[in-house]
Amino acid sequence: MDNAVNMVSATRALPLSSRVARWFSKSWKHFILTPLVLLWLSPMIWIVLTSLKTKVEVFDPDAGILPAVLNFGNYPATLSVAPFGTYLLNSVLVTGSILIAQLVTITLAAYAFARLEFPLKRLLFSLFLLQVMFPIYAIFLTNFVTLREFGLINTLPAMIVPFVASGYGTFMLRQAFRQVPSELSDAARLDGCGHLGILWHVYLPLVQPTLIAFGIISVVTHWNDYMWPLLVTNSDSVRTLPIGLGLLAKSDSGADWTRLMAGTTLVVSPLLLVFVIFQRRFIDSFMHTGVK
Amino acid sequence: MSHSFAQVWRKEVLLAYALLLPSAVFLAVFTYWPILRSFWFSLHDVMLGDSRIFWLGAENYLRLLDDGLFWKVLGNTAFYTLTTIPLSITVALLLAVALDSKLRGMSIYRSAFFYPVMIPSVAAGMVWVFLYAPGYGPINSALEFLGLPRLDWLYDSAWALPAIVLMSIWKYSGYFMLILLAALKLVPSDLYEAARLDGVGPVSRLLHITVPLISPTLYFVIVIGLLHSYQIFDYVYVMTQGGPADSTNVLTFYIYQNGFQYQDIGYASTIANTLLVFVLGLIGLVALTLGRRVHYMGER
Repeated sequence: MDNAVNMVSATRALPLSSRVARWFSKSWKHFILTPLVLLWLSPMIWIVLTSLKTKVEVFDPDAGILPAVLNFGNYPATLSVAPFGTYLLNSVLVTGSILIAQLVTITLAAYAFARLEFPLKRLLFSLFLLQVMFPIYAIFLTNFVTLREFGLINTLPAMIVPFVASGYGTFMLRQAFRQVPSELSDAARLDGCGHLGILWHVYLPLVQPTLIAFGIISVVTHWNDYMWPLLVTNSDSVRTLPIGLGLLAKSDSGADWTRLMAGTTLVVSPLLLVFVIFQRRFIDSFMHTGVK
Repeated sequence: MSHSFAQVWRKEVLLAYALLLPSAVFLAVFTYWPILRSFWFSLHDVMLGDSRIFWLGAENYLRLLDDGLFWKVLGNTAFYTLTTIPLSITVALLLAVALDSKLRGMSIYRSAFFYPVMIPSVAAGMVWVFLYAPGYGPINSALEFLGLPRLDWLYDSAWALPAIVLMSIWKYSGYFMLILLAALKLVPSDLYEAARLDGVGPVSRLLHITVPLISPTLYFVIVIGLLHSYQIFDYVYVMTQGGPADSTNVLTFYIYQNGFQYQDIGYASTIANTLLVFVLGLIGLVALTLGRRVHYMGER
């Protein structure tokens, strides 16, 4: 106790220069990281600042970085040129349907792979895993032809059906199911529970963190998806937010950055807001996707 | 007894197949059927919206060999993949090592580097078009301020693809950083302590202790990076449409051009098959070279 007190007073007695040196050796990282963080944030800051400028200011080299007067008029202007409400609704419907469908398919398949024995199990599991290697970017062409034959082009289901099965999600959930101690399911079976009852009452409550992690990744991926919705839609009634934003850029052809950046702020902010509120959940989900 | 066991077993098999059925149907229709069909198309003359189909044999593949633009596009794709992945993983590793200690404000830093992942590719692409604008873009203003020459970026065939690479580093490093951070947490800190006491400097600690110990995760991040590199389609579509002079045309975009703009499904499928072989080949290469040298802690 006495020693500790002595040490504290000894630290206080150090000359200023070595106290600075000590402080610097502890916090030098901040001097490197803070500029880097600002660099990383600058595109987002630029989006928001530009959305509050006037058209003249954007092209005026002497105008400075900050808008002279906060000009909120770009927001109503953006909302009046495109049906952002419809885009938003479509985005919610598409992303939500994909999520629900995926949660059902991966839960059922993961249970079979984790807890049941059947012929061809290994081959089937490899076929599920291999899907991860064949994303839509590599097979979009034939999928487009298939959906055309089904008559689904320019409908909401066209944006949903290619993503209903998820090899990646099945893999994640199977790993989680295998962590559940088998005593728990044995006890439930003695109580007269069948496989589906055990899945519902024992397994699903225990793997909730994995379900949430997968859900977050799925929502972020499909909410932001651009290529596939772009190819399979051709009218405003089914377009999603990213497609609407892309169209706005095309029609403005770079001339009206203020309106475009107001649109970008509107499209980017729902997900960023949810991210800021549930930061820890998001970070954990993405962090542990890499750890097997 | 054995009879009832067989019955139970048969019931379990039936249940397993029933549980797999929903996934299997969608996997078959939207992943495996397209791959087979794409191979079939590549052997034919098929036009978009035309139900007729003519046998060509290997002709599309021979055409591919003679197509100068295809080789340029393949080169661009290789350039993008082989610069973006190493650079963004290096940035990610340095960030992860810097953030790994009990640093104050750690969670703020982490989120600030990670948030670009949350931004839709179309929005990211558009903002960077603005940032790169030769006349009034802030990047050129910053270069001028530093006394460096202004560049034409997306309008210059030498700089357009590197410009997309830079943007991709901003977009994806944060994601790789998070995965690496999770792995760094598992490295026992007494190893660093021992090395420090032996007078090992920070650079060799990074190269000889950290990198080998997190090599399984690094390997995984490389594979994830390869799969993410497909997304360059979005940026090319939004930022350059493959130009100038096809300097940013990449395989996914070339497939789109042939299939949707020229409606030549047969030839586009041939390129798509090449893309699959390209990516599977790269993953195989990574598995054979790096995968073998991966150091697993504990088991193996």
